[in-house]
Amino acid sequence: MNEHGKILIIGSGIAGMSCAVRCAELGLHVQMVSPYPSERSQSVMASGGINAVLGLPGEDDTIASHIEDTLKGGSYLGGEKAVTGLCESASDIIAWLEKIGTVFSRDSSGTVSRRAFGGQSHKRTCYCGAATGKQIVTALVMECREMEVKGLVERLTGRHFYSALIEDGKCYGALLFNQNTNTLETVYANALIMATGGQNALFGKTTGSTLCDGYAIGQLFRQGAELKNLEFIQFHPTTLETSQKKMMITEAVRGEGGRLFYELDGKRIWFMEDKYGPNGNLMTRDIVAREISAAPSQVYLDISFLDPDIIDTRLSEVRDLCAKYRNIDIKKEPIPVTPSVHFFMGGLAVHMNHETNIRNLFAIGECASMYHGANRLGGNSLLSAIHSARITAEALSECSFPDTVPDFSAYTEAQKKKLTSFTNTESNFPVSYIRDMTAEIMQKHMGIIRDDDSLNKGLEEIDYCMKISSHLKFDSSVNTYLNYSMESILILAKATLLAARARCESRGAHWRSDFPDTDPSQQYADIISYDNGAYSIRLDREHEYES
Amino acid sequence: MNMKVKILRKKNPGSESYWETFAYNGPENNSIAGVLDYLNYHDDPVNVQGKVSDRITWECSCLQGECGACAMVINGVPALACETFLRDLKGSEIVLQPLRKFPVVCDLAVDRSSMQENLKKTNAYIGDYIPSPGEDHTHQYNAAKCLKCGLCLEVCPNYVNGNTFYGAAFANDCYLIYARNKDKAGDIRKVYGEHFAAGCSKSLSCVDVCPVGIPTLASMAKLNR
Repeated sequence: MNEHGKILIIGSGIAGMSCAVRCAELGLHVQMVSPYPSERSQSVMASGGINAVLGLPGEDDTIASHIEDTLKGGSYLGGEKAVTGLCESASDIIAWLEKIGTVFSRDSSGTVSRRAFGGQSHKRTCYCGAATGKQIVTALVMECREMEVKGLVERLTGRHFYSALIEDGKCYGALLFNQNTNTLETVYANALIMATGGQNALFGKTTGSTLCDGYAIGQLFRQGAELKNLEFIQFHPTTLETSQKKMMITEAVRGEGGRLFYELDGKRIWFMEDKYGPNGNLMTRDIVAREISAAPSQVYLDISFLDPDIIDTRLSEVRDLCAKYRNIDIKKEPIPVTPSVHFFMGGLAVHMNHETNIRNLFAIGECASMYHGANRLGGNSLLSAIHSARITAEALSECSFPDTVPDFSAYTEAQKKKLTSFTNTESNFPVSYIRDMTAEIMQKHMGIIRDDDSLNKGLEEIDYCMKISSHLKFDSSVNTYLNYSMESILILAKATLLAARARCESRGAHWRSDFPDTDPSQQYADIISYDNGAYSIRLDREHEYES
Repeated sequence: MNMKVKILRKKNPGSESYWETFAYNGPENNSIAGVLDYLNYHDDPVNVQGKVSDRITWECSCLQGECGACAMVINGVPALACETFLRDLKGSEIVLQPLRKFPVVCDLAVDRSSMQENLKKTNAYIGDYIPSPGEDHTHQYNAAKCLKCGLCLEVCPNYVNGNTFYGAAFANDCYLIYARNKDKAGDIRKVYGEHFAAGCSKSLSCVDVCPVGIPTLASMAKLNR
C-alpha cells in the first residue's frame, strides 16, 4: 500500500466528505474541491432518511428483504452483487454516522427511529427529524475539519472542475477553474474522484440544488468516460409548486400515513388506495408520479388528520415549508402536489470498486450509476452516497500508485489559451438563454411519459441548440463557468435523449407510451460512449460493469 | 407589480461599489430570490437609465432556506433572499446590499470563509460521539441545523471579521461538540470562553435573525453552566 497516495475529490457533499474522511483514515492525502462550502451542497436537502436493517432483537426485517426491495424498486437493473454490498453495509454506516456525532431521532428505548418509505416492505428508514441530510452534513463537516486540522484533508473552495488529465485511458488529476482568479489550475493526483451530484441543470428548476448541473459528467463523457442508464430519471411524485422552484414534500408524509386524492364532482377520490389497496400511497415513486400526472385534476396530499404533535415533531419542516411558501396549514388543509425531476439513477458507469472505464477515475454518489437500476427507493440515496464513498476509499487504499506522471504541460497550456481566447471574445447572445432552452426541451420531451416522436423532436431541438452554442462567443454578463460549461451540458442532454430513444420498453422511471410493456430481453443496463461527435449505445449484456 | 430594486454592486473585490437601480414588473408573490432571477433572466437586465447591465451576481443553491447561500441585507434587514417575500416588504423600492461583515466577492456574493477558518483554528470538531444520560437531543438537533449563512454575525454588535470574537455560529458548534463528546467538554468550553463568552454583550440579535431558529441562548446557558 502506498500511504502517500494523493486523492483529488471533486464535490464536498455527503459522498465527497465521506470519501475524504475514509481516505484520510486510511492514510491517503486528500484535496477536496468545490465552489462553495459543504453547507451549500444539495446533500443538506435530503430530508427523508437513510435505509438500514439494524439487526435489533425482535426485528423481523432482514438484509435479504432490503436487497430484494432495492432490486425490485430498480426493476432488476441494479447489479445484485453491488446492491447486496450496499444493503449489507447499511447498519455499519448508521453506526459510523452515530459515532461521528450525527443527531438521529430516537424512539423511547433510545434506538435510532425508523419510518416506512415507499416501495419498502418494512420500516427501515433511519432519520433525523425531517432534516437527515443536513444533520449528516453537520457531523461530516466536523469530521472533515478534524482531518483538515491534522493536515490529512485540504479543502480547495472557490474552484470548479474544468477537465480531467487523461492519457492512454488513465487519469492523473484535473484542471480546475479558480473563480476568484479566473484562471485554470493544474492539480495532479493518483486518483480523481467525482462526487458532483445529479444533472439538474438539464431540466432547469428541479427539487434539487442549482449548483448540480451535470457539467462534470458531460465533460468526462467527451473525454472518454462511459455513461450508464441516463434515461432513468426519478420524478418525485409530490412537490409543491412555488414561484421560484418545485419544493419536495418528503415521502415521509406518506410514510406517516398521508393520503393522495383528487376531487371529482365535489367528492374526494383516493385514487392510489382505490387502485393499489390500503398501502397504495406508498407505492414506488415512478408509479405514484405517473398516477398523479394521469389524474384528471389537481392532486392533493392530505395529512391533516394526523395528531398535530406528530406533525410538529416528525414533519415540522414540511409544515413550515407549506406555510412559508404557499400559506398552507397542513394541520388543517391538504397540500396541492405535482411531480418534478428529483434524482438521476444514471450517470458515470462504474465498476464494483467505483472506478470508471478510465483507470484512476472514480465516481461516487448521485453522479455515479450503480445501485438504483431503473428507479431508486426513498432512503437509498444517502446510503449509496456513503457506501460508494467508503468502497472507493478502501479500493484506493489497496492501490500502489506510480511515481511517474505523463507531461500534461502541452495540454494544460492549450486549454489555458483556449479559455483565454474565448473569454476575450464578446457576445450579445446570453448563454443563459441556451441553458433555459435546454431545460425547456428536456422538460417537454424527457418528461414522465415519453415516445419516439417526441424524443426525436427533442433531439432535433438539442442539435439546434448545439449548433448555436458552437458559434457562441463569451457572454461577459455572467461568470466564466456558466460560459464554458454550456457545451458539455448540451452533449449530456443529447446523450440522455438518445438513451431514452434507444430503450424501447417501459421500465422503472422510464415510461414509453409507444412501448408500454417491460421487455425481458432488455433487462440490462445501457452504456453510452462518445468519440469525437459520435455517440454509441449498447446494452451491458455481459455485465461488464459488475466486476 | 411595479417596483424599483436598488442594488449595491461591485464588479470584483478590488473595485469600487456603486448603486444601480432596476425596474421590477414581475410576479408579486415572488421572493427576493425570485426577483433577482427575474431581473437576471426574464430579459437582458436594463437599469432605470435604460442601459443594459451585467447580470447580478448572488449566491444560491437550494432556494428554500436550507443552505444559507443567499443571505444578504434586504431593506436594511439581514435575511435569506429565498425566504423574504415581496408581500412582506413595505414601500415601492427594495434596497439590496451584500452582507457588510464579510469581504465582497462580486455584487451580493461575499466571502464567508472566515467562519470555517475560525472553527478550524480552534479545533472545533466532535471527534467520537460519547452518549451521556439526559442528553438534550432536541437542542443538539437544532444547533446542528446551523446554515453557516452569516446572518447572526451580520447583526451582532460585537462581531468584526478578523477579530477574536467569533459569534453565534461558533457558539452553537461549540455547544454541539460539548454535548456530543464529554471528553472534549473542557477544551471546547475554554475556546468558547475565549472566542465567544468573553466578547458577547448578549444583545441576542443573533437569535432573532437566525433563519432556522437556533436558540443560541440555550447553547450559551448550557456552556456557561
